[in-house]
Amino acid sequence: MHEDSPIDHSAGVENAPGNGVPLDPEDFLRVHPPFDRLGRSAMDVIGRTLEIDFAGRNSTILSRSDPVNDRLFVIRRGVVRLEAEKRRLELLEEGECFGFPSLISGCSPTVDVIAEEECLLYRIPKTTFDDLMDEPAFAAFFVDGIQQRLRRALRTEPTLMTADLASPARDLCDHPPVSVTPDATVAEAARVMSTAGVSSVLVDTEPPAILTDRDLRNRVLARGLPSTTPVSKAWSRPVHTLDASASLYAMLVFMLERRVHHVPLVEDGEVVGVVTDTDLLREHLTSPFHVLRSIDRSASPELLVNYANRLTGLVDGMVVSGLDAIQVARIVSTLNDAVMARVARAAEEDLGPPPCRYALMVHGSEGRREQTLLTDQDNALVYLDETEEAGAYFTELGKRIVGALVQASFPRCAGGFMADAWCKPLAEWRSTFAKWVTEPEPEALLGAANFFDFRRVWGTLSLDPLDDVIAGAADNRIFLAHLAAGGLRFRPPLGLFRTFKDEDGGIDLKKGGILPIVAIARVVGLEAGCRSRRSLDRLDAAHDAGIISGDGAEGLSEAFRYLHRLRLENQLNAHRAGRPISNTIPLEELVSLERRHLKDSFAQIREIQEWLAQRFDADRLG
Amino acid sequence: MRWWTDRRQPWDGVTFWALDLETTGLDPQHDRILSVGMVPVREGLIRWGDRHYTLVRSPGKTSESGALGVHQILPGDTASAPKEEEVLTFVFDRIDNAVLLVHHAPIDIRFLRAAARRVHHRWPAPRVVDTVRLLGRLELRMERLEPYPPALPRGLDGARKALGLPGHCAHHALADALATAELFLALRNRLDARTLSDLT
Repeated sequence: MHEDSPIDHSAGVENAPGNGVPLDPEDFLRVHPPFDRLGRSAMDVIGRTLEIDFAGRNSTILSRSDPVNDRLFVIRRGVVRLEAEKRRLELLEEGECFGFPSLISGCSPTVDVIAEEECLLYRIPKTTFDDLMDEPAFAAFFVDGIQQRLRRALRTEPTLMTADLASPARDLCDHPPVSVTPDATVAEAARVMSTAGVSSVLVDTEPPAILTDRDLRNRVLARGLPSTTPVSKAWSRPVHTLDASASLYAMLVFMLERRVHHVPLVEDGEVVGVVTDTDLLREHLTSPFHVLRSIDRSASPELLVNYANRLTGLVDGMVVSGLDAIQVARIVSTLNDAVMARVARAAEEDLGPPPCRYALMVHGSEGRREQTLLTDQDNALVYLDETEEAGAYFTELGKRIVGALVQASFPRCAGGFMADAWCKPLAEWRSTFAKWVTEPEPEALLGAANFFDFRRVWGTLSLDPLDDVIAGAADNRIFLAHLAAGGLRFRPPLGLFRTFKDEDGGIDLKKGGILPIVAIARVVGLEAGCRSRRSLDRLDAAHDAGIISGDGAEGLSEAFRYLHRLRLENQLNAHRAGRPISNTIPLEELVSLERRHLKDSFAQIREIQEWLAQRFDADRLG
Repeated sequence: MRWWTDRRQPWDGVTFWALDLETTGLDPQHDRILSVGMVPVREGLIRWGDRHYTLVRSPGKTSESGALGVHQILPGDTASAPKEEEVLTFVFDRIDNAVLLVHHAPIDIRFLRAAARRVHHRWPAPRVVDTVRLLGRLELRMERLEPYPPALPRGLDGARKALGLPGHCAHHALADALATAELFLALRNRLDARTLSDLT
């Protein structure tokens, strides 16, 4: 650029037509990380010094014998391979950067970079790069490891609600608690509530009790009790309290899971206020409560037919509100449990009272509380009495439950792991579980992988005897080794050189990423004696027990969250576009950052799989 | 003969100026230059930082509606632009010491020469590399390896795609100049051209 020239060279960029044709280098860079984090002035700096090179096939772009490297490369078109000692390490694709380790260290490159295909390359000189490194978001991209990159991916796209849901529940408290003495009448309590304009009142007892306007309606008025009734006849005691520092998300889960509408918040042993679901309602998180109420109140299971659609809409809203996929799954499982309970209750009403105690359990992803949008049914029945009468009753109950769930749009499980087929007395379940542990044949492992993640959702029969069998498997190395080998059959679809193995035009996130992690977490979780079914809890427990390294547990957890999020977003997109919901994501729909995170996730899984295989020598057994 | 015209020197020892013009039509005598885009290739690298782009103010004919649809430069846009004479001085200063690099050179050169005559400038007569001719040369070479190879498209967009470069449909003088420079690098590599004589 010549100062005295009549020509304005920057005008070209602004006047360039054909938006959507990323031919201008700046346009291309602007949508690729880490350049997407740069402001306009930084992009102008790049525009002043950028060079474009073309590398013929198999030509060396960077070499370990170069004394230094003085530029950052961005692939505009083509593929390069990173090599060391003639060993291929990795392939990089369009939009990816290379050369920065040597650029930052000032030393020779640690790998050779060779054009796998003909490449068009953008080069950014060191002086410009150094200027850009003053931008923290830009610099972070180059100095972080895989875990940090994944964690940041989870944090991008902040939405309105993200901060709110992380904020403490006490923020919702706008007035001190209102209370009455234990000898007050319901009329006095009602007056106190009315004066304070609140929908609940605490009762000063030890432990404290609560009386809500719902209680006044249901336990006093509906029963025709007089206004002089003591509050002790209508209160709920002890009241479920929550620490005031708990997050709004924790509070949401707390209220949904305990089915309460009022939560006293406690600070240093003192109740500092009472928050209600209406307070949360103000925060726009109304729908989980509405859906839950409509499940509980639906007169018959047929009214649940619209459940799948409502659930999808709700999940969409929660994702937009900034909940991550794992948090969404936890709320969804609470709602799904309510549906199961509603359906079981209705079946009982039809068939008459059950002849003995029993339990309806869910297993698989539902058992782990890791299901988001509706997938196959995974349920089973356990009953106490080994009588013919009980067998006949519960077989029929199972059929009705499965049928009603199909109506509520939970599809049948392809493997048939449902209550109409899996319906046995507790003793038989126990011996089946025990046999799976002692004789880990392929079919037994399939059963173990499915049913060992069980959880009771309805009924009064305790399933602790089954838990005890699983706990006993913690010391059984042979069983764990077989379980590990079974899980290692799922491999991330990543080629030798970090290229995707693209099957049928897409990547199966469930088979390739989620299930491998679930399988690893199950093995190390069982070994650690973890009673929680959630994969993230299992990884934590395994880390606490010293089985898996902190980096391993953390990296795998981040990958797990990322894969869930990617799958959920993809499914919601499909739903909005009216396409069927699946676990497969088309490669072309991933932007380069997502590709990179996905590769990072798969690489992380592969690393832990190799570790697990060695730990149990599982490959040999498999 | 000046030093730079030595055709035996290595190709990356020379500066190439990729150039593209948008015009009011196709007739160099009656139509006018509306905009000029230039991107240099020096030491074998495209120097994007040294790019130039300008609209051109010239008296006389405005765009026919057809041409307007292509380049989208409205008559009013050029009103405050540098005059044709200034722009030519600027362009000629650069190509005087360099090789002119154009996709389908004859048309743009005729426009530049006609403009030079109008404002009484000397045409610097630079050496010219035409990417369309290089495409022809590559096609001949491919024929030697394989009879009846698929023809290489001669349009800028088609030729780029045939050589594995990103697609391009700009019709903007600067974008087209860059597209030409990139195409040149790809062709140079395929032809394994070492000296200027391999390219002209």
